[in-house]
This record gives sequence, C-alpha cells and structure tokens, in this order.
Amino acid sequence: MNALSKSLLIVLVTAVVVHLAVILSTPNLLMAVAFKRLSADGQKVNEMVHSPRTSETSRTIVRLSPDLAYSSCAFDLSKGPVRVTAAKASDYMSVSVYAANSDNIFAVNDHQAPNGVDLVIVGKGQAAPSGAALVVQSPTQRGIVLERRLAPSAETFAAADLARKRDVCAPL
Amino acid sequence: MKAGWKLAGLIVIGAGLGVVSAVAMLNQGMKIGREEVDGWVGSHVSGDRTADPYSRALVARAGLLALTQAETLYFNRTTDETGKPLRAACTYQLDGGPQPARWWSVTIYAADNYLPINGDDAQSADATRVAQTAKPEDEGRWIVRVSPQKGDAVHWISSKNSGNFALTIRLYNPYDHARKDFKSIALPRIKTVSCPRTPA
Repeated sequence: MNALSKSLLIVLVTAVVVHLAVILSTPNLLMAVAFKRLSADGQKVNEMVHSPRTSETSRTIVRLSPDLAYSSCAFDLSKGPVRVTAAKASDYMSVSVYAANSDNIFAVNDHQAPNGVDLVIVGKGQAAPSGAALVVQSPTQRGIVLERRLAPSAETFAAADLARKRDVCAPL
Repeated sequence: MKAGWKLAGLIVIGAGLGVVSAVAMLNQGMKIGREEVDGWVGSHVSGDRTADPYSRALVARAGLLALTQAETLYFNRTTDETGKPLRAACTYQLDGGPQPARWWSVTIYAADNYLPINGDDAQSADATRVAQTAKPEDEGRWIVRVSPQKGDAVHWISSKNSGNFALTIRLYNPYDHARKDFKSIALPRIKTVSCPRTPA
C-alpha cells in the first residue's frame, strides 16, 4: 500500500466512524436536551408538568401543535417504577411514553382508555407491581411521558387545563 | 514526530468529513424512507422501536416526541404547486376536503422548526374551526389562506416573518386505508395566489 492510499484509508475510516457516532448519538443527545428542558434542569423529575398554551414563543420542543394542550413528565426509574395517570377526556387525548433513545415505546388514546389512563412504567429488571392494570416496560431508565389533549381554542384549552389538573406522574 | 502530526491531521480531516456528512444527512436526508403525495411528504418510518438509526436520528431532529403512525400521520411540505420554496411574502391558498382521520390540523413552521414569531396568533387551521364555519353547500370543502396579511380570509395562517416556511398537516387517529396507502389520502391542494417578484 503506498503512502497516498494509506492516508486516504485513514481519512475514510475516521470519517465513517465519526459519521456513525454522530448519527447514533443524535437521538440520545436530543432526548437528553428535552429531558433537561422539560424537567426544569432536573428539578422536576417524576412530576407532571402542564405546559401553558403553545404560542409562538414556545421553544421547549420543536414542532409543537398550537392546537394541543401538552403535559409532560421527565421520568427516572432508578429508584423504582413510576405511575402515570391522565383523567378521561371528552375529546382527543393521548399519553405516550418515549425511551431515552427517542423511541415511542407506548401510546394510548381516549378511545382505547375511555375512563382515563392509569399506567405504571417499569425499568429493566424491575418487577411489575401487582394490581397495575397497564404496565409499560422501558428499555432505558430515563425517558419522557407526553400527554396531549385537543384544545384548538382558548375555551377548549381552559377545559383541558381543568381536566388535567389532577393527572399524576410519581414514583410508586 | 512528523509522521505523528500527519496521522493527527488525517484523523482531523476524517472526523471533519464524518461530522459534515452526518449533519448533511440530518439536514438533507428528510426524503429518505419518505413518500410524496402531491407535494406533501409523509414518512412510513416513524420513531418506534423498529426504526433504523438514520430514521431515528431524522425523526429525533425534526419531530422529537412525535407519535407513531398508528396514532398520527404527519405530512410536511416546503414547496408550492410548482416546486418552488414556500415564501413568507407570498399568498397561498389551501383547498381541502374531509380528511381520513378523527381530527386534523395544518400548522406553519419557520425553517428552525418552531412557530414563526409575528404576533398574529394565527399559526394553524384545524377541523374544529373549519367545521364551525362550514355551510351545507361546501360539502366538506374548506379553504385556508396562508399569507402575511389576513385580508378577507375566513381561515388564515399568518406567514409573516416565517422566511422559507413549511406546512405540516397532522391526521390524528387516521383511518386504516390512509395509514396503509398514503396515495389514497386527498390532502389539501396548494395554489399560489400571488407572489412579489423580489424575495422578501
């Protein structure tokens, strides 16, 4: 192998490795940023946070819909499972769970859960609590729960805001 | 010593190429795994457990915390009916009908993937607001104007300060046929009404 092709090979191999490293780490990095923002720099972990009505100044997450009321919970299963509840809704509502690599590992909507949502997120190797109706197994210890309620107007937002008041995200 | 510097230089060049190509992929790769329907681009891959690393990275970048297809279909468009970029200064008309979903909305996003800042509080149109003004003779047809000024529009999305923008239509709880076959969806048509010659 001559010097030039050896040099090219070094450049190529480094480029491929770095390229893949960036692609593979992007979802985790972006989720870590979202986790930080949604948990107010780690102060509100395992806590349901109700976002105000989405406006043009909302900058926590890209591509929010101004027609939905969002609540979120940055969860951490290191001390055990976390329970999430969402009160029943008269219009579209969903609760979805995202792992630390950004995968949407679970979603349920108001049609599937007409009486509201009550679920427990358990980490790897954690036993599912007895009596829990709905158990979501998370492949990662940290993740994000996102609740969406249809709220295209100020009035419907106020109604959704009232409905979600007692929604819970807390360690079992 | 010289050889060491040379090696370090080659690695820096390689790493640079790796970063640049990855970022280019994330910025330009939005077309991968995607299907176009009349200028609206939807994705059959979404951020679930089956996603490959590229799809996952793309979804994370442009739609972090998005829902999977069972729950919601997202279609995005950045061009007009002739393929030119959507521009803040132009006036467009969206002409649509009933959508195959429980609820739908159309929302404008600036190039940074956030809502444009213009003080107009008019970033979207949705099924509920369109239904409120619907007349029987419309037979489910609806029209939304996308422009910097509202004018006499009934349903208006303000493009003021949005630069080259994108429109996203969300179909919540899409019907089975829509999920399986994007081509079966009659997505709203876009028409350029007017456009100043000089880019604003």
